[in-house]
Amino acid sequence: MRRVRLVSLLVAAAIAGACGSAGGGGTSANSYAGKTIKLGAILSITQAGGVYGPQSRDGMQLAVDQINKAGGVSGAQISLTVKDDASDKAQSAQLAQTMIQSDQDLALLGPTLSNSAVAVHPLAESLKTPILAVSTTGIHIVPDCNFPQTTACRYVFRDSLGEETAIPDNIMSYTTDAHPTTGVLLVAQDDKFSSDGGKIVQATVSKYGINLLKTIPFNKAEADLSPYVTQAVQLKPDVIFITSLGGIPAKIMTEARKQNWQGQFLGGNGFNTGTVSKQAGAAGQGARSASAWYIGNSFPSNADFVSAYKAAYSKDPDQFAAQGYTAIKVIADAAKRANLTFSDLPGDRDKLRAAMETVNIQTPLGPFQFTSTHDVKQTVWVIRMDGQGGFTLVHEIKAS
Amino acid sequence: MGQQILNAIFIGSIYALFAVGYTLVFGILDILNLAHSAVFMLGAAVTFTLVVNHGQSFWLACAIAIVVAALMGLVIEYVCLRPLRRRRAPPIAALISTIGLALIIVAAVEQGRPGTLFSWLWVDGANSVSLPPGVVPNPTWHVAGLTLEGSKLAIFPITVALMLLLGYVMRFTQVGRGLRAVAENPRAARLMGIDVDRMISLTLIISSALGGLAGILFGVALGDISPYIGRDSVEVRGLAVIVLGGMGSIPGAVLGGYLLGLIEVLAVVLLGSNVRAGVAFAALFLMLVLRPQGLFGAQLKERI
Repeated sequence: MRRVRLVSLLVAAAIAGACGSAGGGGTSANSYAGKTIKLGAILSITQAGGVYGPQSRDGMQLAVDQINKAGGVSGAQISLTVKDDASDKAQSAQLAQTMIQSDQDLALLGPTLSNSAVAVHPLAESLKTPILAVSTTGIHIVPDCNFPQTTACRYVFRDSLGEETAIPDNIMSYTTDAHPTTGVLLVAQDDKFSSDGGKIVQATVSKYGINLLKTIPFNKAEADLSPYVTQAVQLKPDVIFITSLGGIPAKIMTEARKQNWQGQFLGGNGFNTGTVSKQAGAAGQGARSASAWYIGNSFPSNADFVSAYKAAYSKDPDQFAAQGYTAIKVIADAAKRANLTFSDLPGDRDKLRAAMETVNIQTPLGPFQFTSTHDVKQTVWVIRMDGQGGFTLVHEIKAS
Repeated sequence: MGQQILNAIFIGSIYALFAVGYTLVFGILDILNLAHSAVFMLGAAVTFTLVVNHGQSFWLACAIAIVVAALMGLVIEYVCLRPLRRRRAPPIAALISTIGLALIIVAAVEQGRPGTLFSWLWVDGANSVSLPPGVVPNPTWHVAGLTLEGSKLAIFPITVALMLLLGYVMRFTQVGRGLRAVAENPRAARLMGIDVDRMISLTLIISSALGGLAGILFGVALGDISPYIGRDSVEVRGLAVIVLGGMGSIPGAVLGGYLLGLIEVLAVVLLGSNVRAGVAFAALFLMLVLRPQGLFGAQLKERI
């Protein structure tokens, strides 16, 4: 153990030296020629997170294909392996262990769900392997991946907008526009992402003068959500907050509209996919959330991504695709500047980690950097469902 | 409260229809067919796919889906049950083989995406989808503060009518007498000239057709069709219902379905939503302790 630490220190010193002498590092055009950068992504392709994982995978694969086609990362080809954790925490951790120790991947991406991240991220941290979260938005993802320990995790990064930023921004924006005074919260209690979102709503509403009439918890696997929706609707709130995953927000919206409720739905990241907007249809019209990405942004790094994605998959990308795509671009940029050796894997992982901290590139999410705590620093886009499976932009809130 | 009672009647009808399929097989074969939840899901998934991806009319799609579900009953019999029966395997073996089939069916559907092997059956992967508005006529009325939806209201009479029909068939027809004879004593039934294998196949066909229909009604009325609706929404509750009503009893399953629906909804209204499942299963536990045979059942021979 002591030897490992010593090696890490030496590696860190070497990196510091390299950065000092080369002014931020960098490699010549083809210094990685003939090499392969092995990346592993743990995504939820099936089960509850299967609403999000496939788009993340498609976004990542698009970025890999583009980079490889354009000559790779300083000549090295990226090899991306995507494995399905079936939205299961234990399976997610097993996959991470295999990718890090048996497959010898340089860095990992994922997992899709915050619920799985609490198992995977501490593992990657202890095995000193950089991992970039692409869709996890719960609390205690970065930097305190070992929560309740507060030590900052050094190898865990996130390119997905945390709910601690997104939900308050969304509530602030809606309050400014519509001045609601009462709300009811419907929260899936058996899922970290959803219950975290619920806590954030509870902690935020009073700041904006909204009286939270009731918090109604439910379980994800409920057969019929009608009794909960009836309870919420009968309180006649101005807004219903929904913090839940998958198809559930759409089901709640549909049921509430059937029961003649006319108020507004406010939500979190669970709203931000075309799948949910499409499923909610007319019932979802106007439902607002803060998103890390907006399809209609016309700056080149987004417009190029959207058109390439459409050409590759014959459908519109969503936020998860954009974040997956961005993740590969971030790692590619860091790998390019990291002076990888391809012979010393622990050393290369540490070099990559250090280089990721200084990423500053244009992405479909906008200008992209990490904060000092490895979280994403980006513009927040407040969007609303258009009732036809898409979204329209309401507000743009720049990173402070 | 009125709205909540309507919610209870609606979900109770789904539980009842689903559980009758469970209890029929248990009554005749003394085994739990845990592939029933996968058949429930297939009913909804096939209807959705035929309407949305193959452009069929809703009613035709329903008819085909029920036939597919019924055929799945035969698959369950020929793949999971009959080979084990031939080898006189214990009921637990059949339980495991039906769980296996359920997992395979769900996995096949959840892998269905455009361009994959199962894309003819399903293209939405793990997503939950709903039939486009207008496919099923669903007039909605708002009366005295209550929301009355056509699709949900229709489920109650459909359930009651089917249960009456099933009760009539079981009690007053030659087939029903044959089925009951097999349930009573398969060997004696065989000696009386009844084709026991045929009766068992018939049981699986009727049970699975009802399961498929329950899935269609669930998918239509709740707008929630995904590979997981059987497993997540009705599988364990179906077991609770047949224990409440009495293992093997058809009226028990119907009453148990409504009872569970009512208990769940009342738990939400009176005690708060986070105790819903706890209260429902506490009722189940009490029933097992106080009246293990359930409301209508004969004394249990085996506990599962």
